[in-house]
Amino acid sequence: MNLSATIRGTRLRFASVKEVLAKANAPKSGDDLAGVSARDPVERVAARAVLADLTLRDLRENPVVPYDRDEVTRVVEDGLDARAFAAVGHLTVGQFREWILEPSTTGTMLRSVAAGLTPEMAAAACKLMSNMDLMTVGAKCEVVVRANNTLGLPGRLSSRLQPNHPTDHVPGILASTREGLAYGCGDAVIGLNPATDTPESTAEILRALDDVMQRNEIPTQHCVLSHITVQMKALALGCPMDLMFQSIAGTQGANAAFGISVGLLDEAAAMMKARGSTKGPNQMYFETGQGSALSSQAHHGADQVTIEARAYGLARRYNPFLVNTVVGFIGPEYLEDGPQITRAALEDHFMGKLLGLPMGCDACFTYHASMSQDELESLKVLLAAAGCTYLMSLPVGDDIMLNYQSTSFHDIASVRALLGKSATPEFDAWLDRKGIWVGGKPGPRFGDVGVLQ
Amino acid sequence: MSRTRSLMAQLRHARGENAPLVPTMPLPRVEAPPARVYVPARETTSTTAAAAAKHTTALLGIGHVGTRYATDVVLQFQAELAVAHSAVAAELPDEWAAQHGFLPLQSQATSHREFLLRPDLGRRLHPDSLARLRKDAQRGPQNGANERTLGAGPDVQLILADGLSAIACMGSGEQLFAATKAACAARGLSVGTPVCAKFARVWLQDEIGAEVGAKVAIILLGERPGLGTGDGLSAYAVYGPKIGNTDGERNMMSNLHARGIAPEEAAPRLAALAAAMIAQGVSGVKLDLTGIGAGGREYRAPQVRERLVVRDA
Repeated sequence: MNLSATIRGTRLRFASVKEVLAKANAPKSGDDLAGVSARDPVERVAARAVLADLTLRDLRENPVVPYDRDEVTRVVEDGLDARAFAAVGHLTVGQFREWILEPSTTGTMLRSVAAGLTPEMAAAACKLMSNMDLMTVGAKCEVVVRANNTLGLPGRLSSRLQPNHPTDHVPGILASTREGLAYGCGDAVIGLNPATDTPESTAEILRALDDVMQRNEIPTQHCVLSHITVQMKALALGCPMDLMFQSIAGTQGANAAFGISVGLLDEAAAMMKARGSTKGPNQMYFETGQGSALSSQAHHGADQVTIEARAYGLARRYNPFLVNTVVGFIGPEYLEDGPQITRAALEDHFMGKLLGLPMGCDACFTYHASMSQDELESLKVLLAAAGCTYLMSLPVGDDIMLNYQSTSFHDIASVRALLGKSATPEFDAWLDRKGIWVGGKPGPRFGDVGVLQ
Repeated sequence: MSRTRSLMAQLRHARGENAPLVPTMPLPRVEAPPARVYVPARETTSTTAAAAAKHTTALLGIGHVGTRYATDVVLQFQAELAVAHSAVAAELPDEWAAQHGFLPLQSQATSHREFLLRPDLGRRLHPDSLARLRKDAQRGPQNGANERTLGAGPDVQLILADGLSAIACMGSGEQLFAATKAACAARGLSVGTPVCAKFARVWLQDEIGAEVGAKVAIILLGERPGLGTGDGLSAYAVYGPKIGNTDGERNMMSNLHARGIAPEEAAPRLAALAAAMIAQGVSGVKLDLTGIGAGGREYRAPQVRERLVVRDA
């Protein structure tokens, strides 16, 4: 395994695969903060040249956190599909990049090798790809999942309706929910981030959302994004729960900081299987985001793109209905500005899809990151063009509890109209019946909450 | 005529098409549009907006032009964005702290950009500031080389800080500080030398509190601005402050400003929180909040949404 390259007569050597992966990464303030980034563009391209000639087998044999020290590595290695790996393991990363870009490599083929890929392989390919490369492959991947409706079919763009409220005041939550539904949003999930993390309030909000869905016969799912242990207690109280949520990260240490482990997630998933209220087999919802491992000092000297991919390696174990990278929420110390947030969103979507996950993205910024509203609007179009499964949706994109800027109800409708995309088939039929979205454009009752009871 | 053009002309002629490739389309006559394309007063929308406003500050019932916003909504949104961005961009002037009666301190961050990109530097005092704190602040007696016994200093060390909004720090921050100091004194708690820290993150309270030997450290700092809310402060309190405290050991209140929790309301709650920490000898997740009325471990007050854009007729 060669770990050196010569650029314009200067020979650069790297100590490990982990260092090559880190230094090959596109510039990110979080990698600078971790002290793992390339010192200049020449060192970065040298790392990429080395990476291009490593084989996928080399990457499998050199995970960025060793097998005996990390349960995420063990989940990935123990769960890897031997036949799928055998089909591509001999390829170098450079050859693999070309193979996935090649038009004759179809979405179905990518789906069938997904189970043989480790997160490090997806991250490695990502580092050799431009934004448009990432979009080209992302758009090919097809990951279809089912809960109460069917998510991820070609030509679809779904949205999570996020009716957050600073005090979890139920009439306020329902006011935002009704408005979002009237704009055609909420087919991925109606999902609330609670201000109060208790089983009782989680159950109360779920019952209120369930009531709106039942009365209006809306084919979607609901979720309250409290800590997974709180949701387990709420479920034990006997409330409806279509999806169970948890934030996850790419190392055992970072997950410990979230108060979770593989054992706990296994237990939660088993509980959902027994008691969850969804029709389909996919019942879990995970959120991730570059930089979360570093913020808990559990990154093991690896770069944030590779660690992010490892979170997807963990998510895969639970066949989730939704996985969502909250790309700009963490702040400028991890993703500094518009170009870094845009790049990270496209990277995460690509890596998640390549690994076989129904990837959505919370395209967002906090007000202390250097990203303009126009850049954020552009990113939503890029993501939808790249086949992103779903985006968020809030009143004017403004989260009044978490204080950040995301996607608006109007943005979802605009992107669908621009790119000719529609909601999930079940939800789209409901919108048509209600006169909200008809024939690929706003219907007579678009934005009119009077259509809902 | 260039050779290419003449070849094209010949080709067209040969195909019997002398007309231009794309015929000019006749343009329709446009009737003058109505003064307002967007009519906000569609009955269900306006009624619902009024009803919703009683329950949430989310911008609801705003209607739409096609799939986009009406002009008034765009302007309101941009004004709110401008408020948030200018709060982030503002810096605490170096002389402000001393002029307002605070001992001026600074973290290890040396510029605003560095402060945003290096949270680790914002969590520790600059050596000059550490020396100044040791020299000029009221501290408990030493039990070793610059080591303080927990609680040997003041009961409460209050710290005002810029955090992510210097505007909030210089605005309601000063008032909140004074009110909290008075509320602590009213409960019989001693309060340390007033300090104000620049380029400060929450965890800076650990080093400052430990240096003076305070029982409880409370940092009041400008919070990450939201749309239209650049003047909000958050308060974080920790018992037994020391470097290495985790967030699980802190209690916090956010949205502290005139439209959220006003200073006169926040101050007694913070004093009650400090008193409970001292009585129980613990803070954070382990603190029993029964009867304190501080609103839970992470309490965020609702706020009122202001109309920012008023256009002259």
